[in-house]
Amino acid sequence: MVNPTDIKTAQRPAPKARKVLMNRAIREALDYELANDPTVFLMGEDVGPFGGVYQTATGLYEKYGPERIRDTPISEAGFIAAAAGAAMAGMRPVVELMFVDFIGVCLDPLFNFIAKHATHTGGKQPMPVTIMAGMGGGYCDASQHSQTLFATFAHLPGLKVVAPSTAYDARGLLHAAIRDPNPVMFLMQKELLGLGLWGTLPGATSIMPDEPFELPIGKAFVRREGRDITLVGMAASAHMARQAAEALAKEGIDAEVIDLATISPLDRDTVIASVAKTGRLLVADEDYRNCGVAGEVIASVCEAIGHKLKAPPRRVAFPDTPIPFARPLEQYLRPSAEKIVSTTLDLFKDYA
Amino acid sequence: MTEIRIAEDQWDEDLEGNLLTWLYDEGTEVSQGDVIVEIMVEKLQVEIEAPASGILRHGKAEGDLINRGDVIGSVAPG
Repeated sequence: MVNPTDIKTAQRPAPKARKVLMNRAIREALDYELANDPTVFLMGEDVGPFGGVYQTATGLYEKYGPERIRDTPISEAGFIAAAAGAAMAGMRPVVELMFVDFIGVCLDPLFNFIAKHATHTGGKQPMPVTIMAGMGGGYCDASQHSQTLFATFAHLPGLKVVAPSTAYDARGLLHAAIRDPNPVMFLMQKELLGLGLWGTLPGATSIMPDEPFELPIGKAFVRREGRDITLVGMAASAHMARQAAEALAKEGIDAEVIDLATISPLDRDTVIASVAKTGRLLVADEDYRNCGVAGEVIASVCEAIGHKLKAPPRRVAFPDTPIPFARPLEQYLRPSAEKIVSTTLDLFKDYA
Repeated sequence: MTEIRIAEDQWDEDLEGNLLTWLYDEGTEVSQGDVIVEIMVEKLQVEIEAPASGILRHGKAEGDLINRGDVIGSVAPG
């Protein structure tokens, strides 16, 4: 029996919740900042009429024109250095570096100039440059198109580094990055952007408010509360940690999940507070294991509360080898929810 | 009821698209002109707008292959 009230409820339209893919969330932030700050402009390879290889700039060229949406030649060294000059002249450049792997050819203007110039001038000349770059693997694009390079950037003082895991975070953090007087590396995980050709993790798409909002750079997010172990991730590995936590719950292990969201400055307080509660720590990091963010998180926790740990910390990171092209090899080496689960189960078995 | 049909000139060549995502759940009341679905065609991401205002129904699912001229859903008066 269905009573008439139920039928009425069933027919009532669902509340209007607008879902947005991460690449479109990025476009919304760019659109708003371009519309509201005349010093903001975007440049990079194919960001003009094509709308960017990640479709983060669709329609912006038509709306803002070639002066503010600038297609560049394939010369990363040229346009990253040009961003530095523009920032010195009072502009607020946003640059899309197509693949973060290409940083090799333009590292000098970034790490020797953009990252240090504010310090060199005693803070008189800020460097409000935002560099958006696609990163991450898992889709057979081999060693020069699959890296994350979190640690490479986090190691350089003067740079902020963010790596959002959801469309909502991407939008809020990009508003903050563009408005920040410091240079910010805005790392976009290809797998999360919403583009079919790189696969899309469903959890990356968000319900999006219409109004602009800002999320603080340097603040980690607790995605799931738990008592037994703290799982830390960033960008795609934050999703892996969340999936692992769901699987571990079935094994009777109650995991807390922290999404760093910002790699530098690292939100050590949030991680330490969590591990003080759980007593155990695992960091999932798609970057290379050696001298990586995972190691830095673990060191920070050990320095603060190492004496309170119930078990040694663990890392699930990419082994120190170039990323293979072949799918079976790449999947074998890449961090995954399954690896987080098995490492956690081993930890609980070995230190019962 | 208004069909949501992919226009014959929605994208240039005779290519198949891949339905990336519906931007509103089934049963949501959408307005004419709202972007309601995103389709990936080669390396271009195409936004499809609601042809009328009303309650959204999904005909095709995320991941389905889409050709020009296909009906992918409908909008019915609320």
